[in-house]
Amino acid sequence: MFMDIIIYISLAFLLFFCLMAVMSHSMLRSAIYLALASATLSVILYMLGAVWAAVIEVSACSGLVTVIFISSISLSKMGKEDVQKLFATKKQMGLLPVLLVFVGIALVILAVSHGFTLPSVAQEAADTFRTVFWDTRQLDILGQIAAVLVGGIAVSVLLRKDESEK
Amino acid sequence: MQIFNFETVMLFVGILMITAGFYCMIRTYHMLKIIIGIEVSIKAATLFFTLAGYLNGHIGLAQAFVITAIVLEVIVVVVFGGVTIRLYQKYGNVDIRNLTRLKG
Repeated sequence: MFMDIIIYISLAFLLFFCLMAVMSHSMLRSAIYLALASATLSVILYMLGAVWAAVIEVSACSGLVTVIFISSISLSKMGKEDVQKLFATKKQMGLLPVLLVFVGIALVILAVSHGFTLPSVAQEAADTFRTVFWDTRQLDILGQIAAVLVGGIAVSVLLRKDESEK
Repeated sequence: MQIFNFETVMLFVGILMITAGFYCMIRTYHMLKIIIGIEVSIKAATLFFTLAGYLNGHIGLAQAFVITAIVLEVIVVVVFGGVTIRLYQKYGNVDIRNLTRLKG
């Protein structure tokens, strides 16, 4: 019961923060709302038993990604009028909550009319996260290392100085 | 209602988050805003992965997938951030339509 209440409250906050991150015209506020959404998501992950995923979500997404966002925002500062030209008008962004309400109502009607139920929670498998991550999914780790290296090389190539700038 | 438990609500919230993320990606030309749309959609995918692992009883496997998704999410943000900065240095704005003007 207590777990359900925490998850419901966290889901409400998660949806609210994601909506505010999308609708806000200020990039800095959007980045902060995204960080709050990550923190809320990590609470939900923790309550579902995904402890390690929750820790990495809060440290990488809430921390590192926010820092990268704020660095990008500070290095690409545009005038207010120029920024407004790139955004959809306030009217068009204001349609998003209305759209979400309609989609939500449609989902509820579909679920009730078809008697939709998810399967009940199965008994937890014997494999621990450690066994799965380091033994069963070893190739995933290699893929992640390769992706990180490629990302680092891509950024260093992107941000090198041109011959003309030298 | 009996069919509404937190797992179903979680599924609905995930679908709404994906809708919001896609709407953000298509309604603006600002590079950083598009990245935010991508981030919101990936968070919904993370939620779905964890819910699936919770229901199946394979939460360890779901965590492994979620960690992979988070690493790739960070890499996408870093590379897109680099592209945004370069775009700003070249054209003075972060309009994604300027990418089509690049040669080669």
